[in-house]
Amino acid sequence: MPVTFTFGEFLGARSVIGTTLAELGDVHPNLWVITPDIGATLVEFRDKFPDRFLDVGLAEQVSVGIAAGLAYDGNIPVVSGMLPFLSMRALEQIRTDVCYPNLPVKIIGTHGGLVGNGGSTHYAVEDLSLMCSLTNMTVTSIGDPLMVGEILRQSMSMKGPLYIRLAVGKKDMVLYEPGQHDVRIGKGIVARQGTDATIFTHGTTVAQAIQAADQLAEDGRSIRVVDMFTLKPVDEALILECADETDGRFVVLEDHLAYGGLASRIADVLADRGVHLTAFERLGIPQVYAGFGEDEQLRDKHGYGLSATVAALRRVLAAA
Amino acid sequence: MGTHTLEIGQRPSVAELEELAFELRSKLLHLCGTYEGAVHIGGDLSAADIFTALFHYGLRVDPGDIANPARDRFVLSKGHAAVCMYIAMSMRGFFSYDGIVQTYGQLDSAYGMHPCKVQLPGVECSTGSLGHGLPLAVGMALSARHRGEDHRVVCLLGDGETGEGSVWEAAMAARSNRLGNLVAFIDRNRQLMTSFAEERVVFEPYPDKWRAFGWNVVETDGHDMQKLVDAIDALPATDSDRPTVVVAETVKGKGVDFMEHNLAWHAGSLGAADLERALASLESTRRKETV
Repeated sequence: MPVTFTFGEFLGARSVIGTTLAELGDVHPNLWVITPDIGATLVEFRDKFPDRFLDVGLAEQVSVGIAAGLAYDGNIPVVSGMLPFLSMRALEQIRTDVCYPNLPVKIIGTHGGLVGNGGSTHYAVEDLSLMCSLTNMTVTSIGDPLMVGEILRQSMSMKGPLYIRLAVGKKDMVLYEPGQHDVRIGKGIVARQGTDATIFTHGTTVAQAIQAADQLAEDGRSIRVVDMFTLKPVDEALILECADETDGRFVVLEDHLAYGGLASRIADVLADRGVHLTAFERLGIPQVYAGFGEDEQLRDKHGYGLSATVAALRRVLAAA
Repeated sequence: MGTHTLEIGQRPSVAELEELAFELRSKLLHLCGTYEGAVHIGGDLSAADIFTALFHYGLRVDPGDIANPARDRFVLSKGHAAVCMYIAMSMRGFFSYDGIVQTYGQLDSAYGMHPCKVQLPGVECSTGSLGHGLPLAVGMALSARHRGEDHRVVCLLGDGETGEGSVWEAAMAARSNRLGNLVAFIDRNRQLMTSFAEERVVFEPYPDKWRAFGWNVVETDGHDMQKLVDAIDALPATDSDRPTVVVAETVKGKGVDFMEHNLAWHAGSLGAADLERALASLESTRRKETV
């Protein structure tokens, strides 16, 4: 795996998947990779282990069913594809064939959020809500491409299923210096320390949250940025700590429907624990089918771009 | 070849298998007579001969060593026939019939309407949603191939469930990957839950559909034990390159006159009087066959 990339550079998460799986295939002779015709991500594994690579063609449901069958027989299957289709067309296979018997199948894919300019057939914007509702499923959304490799390595010892959401996966910003954070499934990452408010986010919008925090820093405001890359199980302790240490002022930013994703996970924790915040704002996709446009244009249009994020932070900071 | 082996011991004769199928149906009816909830009796009775042929003749399985890697895998895709499978397996020595009939459908029982691997490790997988079993079986067959193991993966489907598109995705995947170690049995009883199949969905020419997907197709009578045994004996070697489908013509409710071809008996429960009638009807078919 390349280690020369550092913060702020761009790297394809897709290529990290391929190289990491190829590396893990040596260590785990029972690792399989299955794809419904989205194999470009996986060439390194395919070329090295052709007998454990399976492209089923345009057939998401059977890709997950076969993975479950392989897992029943003691294998570690990874299904990789485009998330709008894996998370929805194969939803019942994921729930019934994978989650019900709690099999170690990993679902990993691209096109999480309004990415790729594909139109609403090609945007996975409900996926985290759907996956978080599945018993036994661990749900992650990862922005930093180097983290993808780390999470895949950790996932090899997991007993149950795992969902890994990437953005488009072609050009992702390296957010953290390798080794800078203790990256563990189930634990949020404090990407920036801060005391006046917390912005929680995941995936491709972590970079935007850091930018917004930097802008507020110019006004002398101290914004904590939390990369909550595991949505389930969500890091409850960190949420409560942030409520306590950042004056009960929260913004949740995500490239997903504003209801049903991370904001809802956090709101559930707060309600269940009886925590009253000073202010809570959620930024995400409203109940619309989003249309065409570049990623940043779409975020601006639908109210969760950089300027909207800065504005939301100013509102929670000003709340009485 | 894997390092584990599982020998097929003394197999019952066709006459003995027919007697076992009678006993299976009788035990099904008794359960249906004591349990007050719905039992999928129609599709259980149509598959009873197939279950008998598989669990007492066709499958290499060891009730004393359920995780033996050399065992044949059985995937019940028509999961609503779970109770017939439980009882067939109990007659093969996997579980106690009394345990099934005394706890079926009750809180914390391992036995319910659809099989659950978590609750009952003796079954290969959790099924019930139709169209899921064949993809699972493809995964298991691929795994066996990769490990160089020579066991079979056998999947039982209802014909109605082959209306699910995922079945045909799996049919293509099985052929594309040359899974000669995979066998599908179709319980072709020509009834859905609420209609007779061809009234609502045109399945015919049914065996030709499987042929068109590149499968080795065997057509047989699913209630003729000799023919089922012949079909099992004629299965191609597991290292061959074509999956096999056995399209077994059956009758929903087979063996109980008032249930046969009757849409009312997709699922139900028998009171004491109907249990007596059903058992009498079953007994009369047995006498006919042994005359």
